[in-house]
Amino acid sequence: MVWDLLVYKPNAIIMFKNYFKIAWRNIVRHKGYSIINISGLSVGIAACLLIFVVLQFEISFNTNFPGYKNIYHFVTSQMQDDGMAYNPGTSPPAIDALRNDFPQVKFAALNSNYGSQLTVGGANSTNSANDRKFTEKVGVFFMEPQFFDIFKTEWLSGNNAVLSQPNMVVIDKSTAIKYFGDWKEVVGKTLKMDNVLTLKVAGVIADAPSNSDFPLKVLVSYITWKQHPKDYGYANSWDNISSNNQIFVQLPANLSVENLTKKFVPFTKKYLEAKGGKTTRVHILQPLNELHFDTRVGNTLGDHLTSKSTLRTLSFIAILIIVMASINFINLSTAQSVGRSKEVGIRKVLGSSRKQLIIQVIGETALIVIFSIILAIGLAEIALPFLKNIANVPEDIGLFNMGSILFLLVTMVVVILLSGIYPALVVSGFKPVLAIKNKITAASIGGIPLRRALVVAQFAIAQLLIIGTLVAVNQMNFVNEADLGFNKNAVLILPGYTDSISLSKLDAFKQQLLQMPGVKGVSFSSDAPSSDNNWGQNFYYNHSDKEFTYPTFLKYGDADYFKTFGMKFAAGHGYEQSDTARAAVVNETFIHKLDIQKAEQAIGKDIKLGSGKWIPIVGVVKDFKTNSLRDAIKPIVITARKKVESQAAVKIETKNLKATVSDIQQTWEATYPEYAYNGYFLDENIAKFYQQENQLALVYKIFAIIAIFISWLGLYGLVSFMAVQRTKEVGVRKVLGASVFSIVFLFSKEFMILILISFVIAMPAAWYMMNKWLQNFAYRIPLTAGVFVLAIVTSSGIAWITVGYKAVKAALVNPVKSLRSE
Amino acid sequence: MLSLQHISKFYQVGGNKNFVINDISLEVEEGEFISIMGPSGSGKSTLLNIIGMLDEPSTGFHYFVDQPVHQLKEKQRAALYKQYIGFVFQAYHLIDELTVYENIETPLIYQDVKGSERKAMVADMLDRFNIVGKKDLFPAQLSGGQQQLVGIARALIAKPKVLLADEPTGNLNSKQGEEIMELFRKLNKEDGVTIIQVTHSEKNAEYGSRIINLLDGRVESSKKL
Ligand SMILES: Nc1ncnc2c1ncn2[C@@H]1O[C@H](COP(=O)(O)OP(=O)(O)O)[C@@H](O)[C@H]1O
Ligand SMILES: [Mg+2]
Repeated sequence: MVWDLLVYKPNAIIMFKNYFKIAWRNIVRHKGYSIINISGLSVGIAACLLIFVVLQFEISFNTNFPGYKNIYHFVTSQMQDDGMAYNPGTSPPAIDALRNDFPQVKFAALNSNYGSQLTVGGANSTNSANDRKFTEKVGVFFMEPQFFDIFKTEWLSGNNAVLSQPNMVVIDKSTAIKYFGDWKEVVGKTLKMDNVLTLKVAGVIADAPSNSDFPLKVLVSYITWKQHPKDYGYANSWDNISSNNQIFVQLPANLSVENLTKKFVPFTKKYLEAKGGKTTRVHILQPLNELHFDTRVGNTLGDHLTSKSTLRTLSFIAILIIVMASINFINLSTAQSVGRSKEVGIRKVLGSSRKQLIIQVIGETALIVIFSIILAIGLAEIALPFLKNIANVPEDIGLFNMGSILFLLVTMVVVILLSGIYPALVVSGFKPVLAIKNKITAASIGGIPLRRALVVAQFAIAQLLIIGTLVAVNQMNFVNEADLGFNKNAVLILPGYTDSISLSKLDAFKQQLLQMPGVKGVSFSSDAPSSDNNWGQNFYYNHSDKEFTYPTFLKYGDADYFKTFGMKFAAGHGYEQSDTARAAVVNETFIHKLDIQKAEQAIGKDIKLGSGKWIPIVGVVKDFKTNSLRDAIKPIVITARKKVESQAAVKIETKNLKATVSDIQQTWEATYPEYAYNGYFLDENIAKFYQQENQLALVYKIFAIIAIFISWLGLYGLVSFMAVQRTKEVGVRKVLGASVFSIVFLFSKEFMILILISFVIAMPAAWYMMNKWLQNFAYRIPLTAGVFVLAIVTSSGIAWITVGYKAVKAALVNPVKSLRSE
Repeated sequence: MLSLQHISKFYQVGGNKNFVINDISLEVEEGEFISIMGPSGSGKSTLLNIIGMLDEPSTGFHYFVDQPVHQLKEKQRAALYKQYIGFVFQAYHLIDELTVYENIETPLIYQDVKGSERKAMVADMLDRFNIVGKKDLFPAQLSGGQQQLVGIARALIAKPKVLLADEPTGNLNSKQGEEIMELFRKLNKEDGVTIIQVTHSEKNAEYGSRIINLLDGRVESSKKL
């Protein structure tokens, strides 16, 4: 029937004009219902449009590189006693070995640096006062020139060959502008990195698109890394696997992934078992277009990873919202169609065919839907700047592109058909004789079971989202307020540098800080107690040469580490100040894994880390959360090693917090003029572990509100309609002596039953969904009856208020009036 | 022009058949003007609706311009109906959301009449019924008599061969009723439109050339004037 409109018939246009007129007048005449339909739909479509933009952005990740389907990431996995552990990195010797063994395959290695400082010299090269310092959280790499053979990139100046020379750097256009003001004249200029490297700018590349996991900003030649092994942790050893040292692969057309992966087995044997011993190391190839979603492998080189399940949840929610809005439409238009039966009957008498009536009703639906879409675009534009709070989208993300326009068109057609077809079939099926005689009633058009089912569906969706919100919000509150086993509050972290000059200033810096009245304690360490760093190491216990199947994890800290973070000892105590590892403190998990029952039993036993010396355990700290609450507590060894204790943790009085922080900053700038100040609070940093989860909790909140709004609109519309339909019944009942309460009960009884049924559907679905989500956390709240009770109470409450209001109004009408008007 | 043979219409009530039309046979020639009378509930409207193909008989044979209506598919019946029949109702049944002009125009749209021709036809009809000044008003803004004029104008716009009218003057005062009847007579005489009307008024019935009396779904008597 729709295609009929495409065939040119002069009268089709006239007919369309006629329908349009009627449709418009109907919309205006039934303002209330139109507002309900349009507001529900436009809010729903706006929400879906925004979700679509997010999904589109996420799904497009890394697809901008030509031939991305042939590009793979070389991933290392190792069998551990709790399953496979994946590491995005590899060992430094791997790149040469791969090139040697697989000459037909293209490989490229890089090593990423997080938080490097780039210094642009001022006019006076001997005075650093005018230096401009930039700390780059991501985007700084030691990069092989071969990288650009695999990842085709536009060069604005120079070419990838420059990266084969030491101390050369290539920057992207926006970084060039940020550092030097103009990208055209930067080649030949000098850039200092971490006050260690002096680099010559040798090329400029175009900015990476925002949907790339390769934020290529500052690319230093790979050979420079090899030439500064101490400063940047380069060790040409197979024992060392660093997640920063990554390899990318481009397969030739005649070689399959499976084939190459199979050949990695003899490859690892050859290189790793050469020295005797066994390895559990397995290499796999991760397709580039899965990089962004592969939570097994963990962090990409970019700033975020998105799990497929998050994307699925988002699309699922979007579809639910659209369905809910369409349900309102179907419910209201079928209910309303009763009032239109006369018009339909007359049209049939005047010669309208059923097909023409169907087109007319669908046309009216189309008009409302198109109107709603226009409104939705406006709403989405208003909400767009806030999108970055619930998703990792760039600030300047736009609403319109081919994809989103297509999405809107498809949504339009789907919603028109979804919400138009059923009412159209109902209306066009009216028998003209009955219709004209006004013998069509809400009961006689049938579909009451359907309308009930739709209301049930709507409430089920709303309850599902309410439960989802409650669980997500509770879990995130739990996570944010959980006892981590140490005190994270008012601890200022100052990331430091491990070059010898910086290290030599540490002691004096510490004394200066301790003299400030607002500073309660200072500790230098490699790492905060909770962090996303994992420094694993194999170890030996009690002079046995038995190797354990799992590594222990290391944190290095000075003697004040335990006091500064308020850690509690289960047995023993901390160690004396020392530059090297002379004594160790372990956590409870560590001894439990060794099957030691009492903490005291471990005190005085020796452990050996890797090929180090045997050192005694002097203390066992009570377990603290070593990573995010997603992960279980790891076995930990804390010991001293001054060389890597570069990060200062300053415990501050909460009084005069601001003043103290600014004093600390001034002291930092005086002590380390060549380094930018990058202090942050530990608790804020820990909160960032849960950015994605917090975003999801926010998404649930927003969409639960939208769902409640839409189902409330639908309920309100339906009840208003019911009230009009039952005016006479209510009148008769009142004349017969019914109380206002009994009439309210009459109205709400049906809806209460529907809500109960919807709860029976929503509860198991919500339980399943949220239980699965909670599995992401090693530490999680139990799914108690409370949230479910709250969900049903909320939705019943909303229904009661809506139904009750209308029912009381209907019940209070003077029965004489309502009966006379019939 | 039209022939009903042994037409019955019944509703199933419990196990019983409740006959509304009971074995009626009727021949109507082109150019006739028939008045159907009878007490309320005797089946007049039902008979008229069957003649007008708005309702289907339960049994019997129905021929219209030599076509066996009882054998036609819904679509063919609708086409036949569209081409030949105009309907006028006691309750006018105008579309409330459309203006007088648009109400009259609607049947032409369904019959695919071209724009310019359509305009001319509607203008002509407005002129003939003297309602040019009302063309942009909505039905609710008209009196009953005016609404019925619009109803008749709408029924006649597509130049039907047969005009079916179910108590067209039932809601009008006697003067307005008389005007409508004069109009019917003129249509019948000058334009040769076959008219079948249902009426309660003896006086109005006598405008016709034949009066059929119904009782309990049967033809009780039939007389030619
Ligand atoms: N859908 C129906 N079901 C049962 N009986 C009906 C139905 N429609 C009409 N009738 C009955 O048919 C009879 C004739 O109705 P109608 O043709 O309207 O009579 P009239 O127009 O002569 O007053 C009435 O008794 C009415 O009750
Ligand atoms: Mg009747």
